[in-house]
Amino acid sequence: MPVVQLYLNRLQKLVGKKSNKNKILSKIPFLGLDIEEQTNEYLRVEYSPNRPDYATDFGIALGLQGLFGIKTGMPKLSIKKGNYNLRVDSSVKKVRPYITSIIAKNGTLDDETIRQLITLQEDLHFGIGRRRKKASIGIHDLEKIEFPIKYTTVSKNHKFIPLDSSQEIPLSEILEKTEVGKEYGSILNNSPKVPIILDAKENTISFPPIINSALTTVSSNTSNLLIEVTATDKNAAEDSLAVVAITLQAAGFQLRSVKISGANNSSPLLKPRKIILNSDLVNNILGLNLSTTMIASSLRKSRIDATAKKNKIICIIPRYRFDIFGTMDLVEEVALGYGIENLKSTLPPSISVGEKNDITKAIDSLSLIMIGLGYTEVVNSSLVSNQIQNELTNRSNSDVIQVVESKSLEHTILRDAIIPGILENLSKNIHEQYPQKLFETGIVFSKGNPIQEDSHLAGISAHNDANFSEIKSILQSLLKIGFNIDSETKTSSHPIFSEGKTANILVNEKIVGILGEIDSKVIGNFKIREEVKVVGFEIKLSGLIFD
Amino acid sequence: MSQVLHPIEKKIIKSLMESESSTPEKLVESTKLSIDQVRRGMEWLKLKGLAEVKEIEKITLKLGKNGLDAKNNGLPERKLVNNIQGEPKSFAEVQNLLKSDFNAAIANAKKNDWIQIEKGENSTKISLKGIALQSPEEKLIDFFGIDEKMLNDIEDTEALASLKKRPDFISQNITKLKTISLSEKAKNIDFEVSSEAIDVEAKVPQTHAARIHPLKETINEIREIFVSLGFSEVSGNLAQPSFWNFDALFTPQDHPAREMQDTFYIKDIKAGKFASSQQIRSVSRSHKLGWGYDWNISEAQRMALRTHTTCVTIKHLADYKPDEARIFSLGRVFRNEKVSYKHLAEFNQVEGVVIGNNVTLRDLMGLQEEFYRRIGLTKIKFWPTFFPYTEPSLQSMVYNDRLGKWIELFGMGIFRPEVTKPLGISKPVLAWGGGIERIAMLKYGIDDVREFYNNNLNWLRSATKCQ
Repeated sequence: MPVVQLYLNRLQKLVGKKSNKNKILSKIPFLGLDIEEQTNEYLRVEYSPNRPDYATDFGIALGLQGLFGIKTGMPKLSIKKGNYNLRVDSSVKKVRPYITSIIAKNGTLDDETIRQLITLQEDLHFGIGRRRKKASIGIHDLEKIEFPIKYTTVSKNHKFIPLDSSQEIPLSEILEKTEVGKEYGSILNNSPKVPIILDAKENTISFPPIINSALTTVSSNTSNLLIEVTATDKNAAEDSLAVVAITLQAAGFQLRSVKISGANNSSPLLKPRKIILNSDLVNNILGLNLSTTMIASSLRKSRIDATAKKNKIICIIPRYRFDIFGTMDLVEEVALGYGIENLKSTLPPSISVGEKNDITKAIDSLSLIMIGLGYTEVVNSSLVSNQIQNELTNRSNSDVIQVVESKSLEHTILRDAIIPGILENLSKNIHEQYPQKLFETGIVFSKGNPIQEDSHLAGISAHNDANFSEIKSILQSLLKIGFNIDSETKTSSHPIFSEGKTANILVNEKIVGILGEIDSKVIGNFKIREEVKVVGFEIKLSGLIFD
Repeated sequence: MSQVLHPIEKKIIKSLMESESSTPEKLVESTKLSIDQVRRGMEWLKLKGLAEVKEIEKITLKLGKNGLDAKNNGLPERKLVNNIQGEPKSFAEVQNLLKSDFNAAIANAKKNDWIQIEKGENSTKISLKGIALQSPEEKLIDFFGIDEKMLNDIEDTEALASLKKRPDFISQNITKLKTISLSEKAKNIDFEVSSEAIDVEAKVPQTHAARIHPLKETINEIREIFVSLGFSEVSGNLAQPSFWNFDALFTPQDHPAREMQDTFYIKDIKAGKFASSQQIRSVSRSHKLGWGYDWNISEAQRMALRTHTTCVTIKHLADYKPDEARIFSLGRVFRNEKVSYKHLAEFNQVEGVVIGNNVTLRDLMGLQEEFYRRIGLTKIKFWPTFFPYTEPSLQSMVYNDRLGKWIELFGMGIFRPEVTKPLGISKPVLAWGGGIERIAMLKYGIDDVREFYNNNLNWLRSATKCQ
């Protein structure tokens, strides 16, 4: 989850005179923000990826003003008509068809604001922009740009000075050699012509979605901005623009429209949406009995315009709240505005009788018997390493089920047996007192339709006098006491077990498991002391004790 | 004085009365006790002031590899002397003969006053001074032979120091030796009078009970609570088609959470028939409508290790469509995360679901509180939060006294209509759950979640609950 750093003094100024730091601190969690770290000066809070408007303190201040009742209802975007033209060339259709834009004037940017805007931008890139694929945003110094500007395509020989560079670089080189080029270049699908934004003097403003030009870099001296969003999805572009616009307006900028034309592009309207909410839905879901006026006022505290009309509430949702899909989202907004802390819990009587499933019951009872037989339970991962599962147990399993791109070498394949994990447990406990008698129950995997999952139980006994009869006796008692199952053993061989001291476990002439003395080479591989003998068994419970 | 003694102690005292001072090894022989019993008995007697236990260091020495070589073939200086026995030789000749031993040979032969060195015009000559008598080092080497000697038995410490300076000539072994003798107090005990009473205060060896794994104990406790609250258990596979893990829960196919860096996908295996065609059709439509993209079935077929147990509950609800029910699922879930003290790649999760006509968010909060009350957590509060498939969503915060802070436990919410409607579920569904290890950590006072999977026997045998 993304994190934003909030300076308390700054935040309090933004929220307004009627607030104080303590009130702010106690309300922040009720916006759905998690306080990660707190000092006297600042807070670090985690916000949900569906609320990018909380990436800056401007957006959070809008939310707090609502909860405090300082300002309620929808924060309206005030966009005056500007004299700025953006023309779109039809060649962009094939590679990145949409652009939208707005101007923000007469604001001030300090370093903190710039830092937060960059965070907002990255957050939008990651979330709604789907790592810039769907939408990417550029923020530019307006003074460096000559209008009209155009969004078009160029060949990769085109050169310009990209951000944080001092010399002209061809686009092909940006794609091949720079970090951003390598990371985001694939979005352009090897298109021979790539998108570019040029101004009236043919200066390059941006090479979307890769990098902006050095020319239009924003600094703390910048007071007028051009914001552009290029996209493969027009909605995603305007949603992103709406978040940036409301944030800049809250930061004190005045918004001006950009006239966009050409290739199915148009000036963004950023209009709010209307949804009609039924008060019954609200009260049924929340378990309350709120009047429509109370519901409307709660919504306004959540910064949504709402007016009560009979048993309905007419809601106007600002464009930047694209996390709201429908009425159920508005129910949540009512709960937030009403105050989660004001909801009293109720315990509904149960109309049902609870029950464990049969597998759990059977495994519970087998586990109890194993404990009675003196075996201590261990738990291991079912996603394991090939080294422990196969190499150390002298097995070569050609049918391993692998996961893709695991972050950890210890978790790369799904286990097909439990015993290797228990041997690893013995290996880590060679300094502990013997006898060591361990068991584990769990799922093992094999290929088949598409993946077969079976419950197994394995038991291992390790001490100087451990022998075949001991473990056979344990296995037979377990099945007999637990489920009145008679089992027998027949000579077999298996790479984990010693030749001549290995047997299949049979129930009604069907093989259900394996039992024997662990091979001395395997014991050596696990660095268990030579004088310790290890015996064990593993049985498949699925099909034997439950289906 | 009345003194109750353990049979072990009696045997040791008896043996010590016969021989003034003894060692554990000797006591094993004389008392027929095991070495562990003797060690324990010595410790008890020492604590009771009945015996004096001293620890002494025993240093033994023997010839090392080069020392043994010198014993057989002579020290370098002796080789030198043997070489110039007949006639003086030049530096170069001797150097050629002795090679790496040359410097040591010259230095020691001079020290022993065996040779003289004359500088000539063309070469430097080495000649014998007289009869080269056996040096102290040679005597010591003879004394050693192939045996191990006690340090105390060696008289010529100067020769020893000199041999020790030469690499690999002497190897030294230090062993710690315990000796035990009776104290004055013990000598006054009359054994014949001592009763058959046993020392009820003596320490006893620890017995290890075979037991259930602490994490399993917590899992079982949680399962019992769910059952007692009227929930029935449902189960499902750990490897799931992406459809049930993501698509059915309204997670768009290009959502970052579905990327490989968060989810374990299974290599080269795709799901066959994973849902009814009706379910597939309506989920596809719901994605198109809600997220505005073309849903792709092959993405839904990718097999993943389930990232939550919700895939099991949602499939149950979609397949059986109960009007009223309380169900829960519990089991392993997976996240492709770097393993650390707070994150595991594989852990346990529980999720409870209530479906019914009149269920509300306040009911969900009440169930949650009741659940926590039953596992012994009483300070609880609720905060809003975000989950992709519930709306409204809350998280519960629980105060932990040991850590002195609020910690985040289970999350909860009401399934979004975008999730339930396409699957034909018409009643509201309350859902809540979370990781079980977190609760087990509170119960056992553990700060590193990996502890549960280390299976350290010492811990398994001794872990106790703190809450």
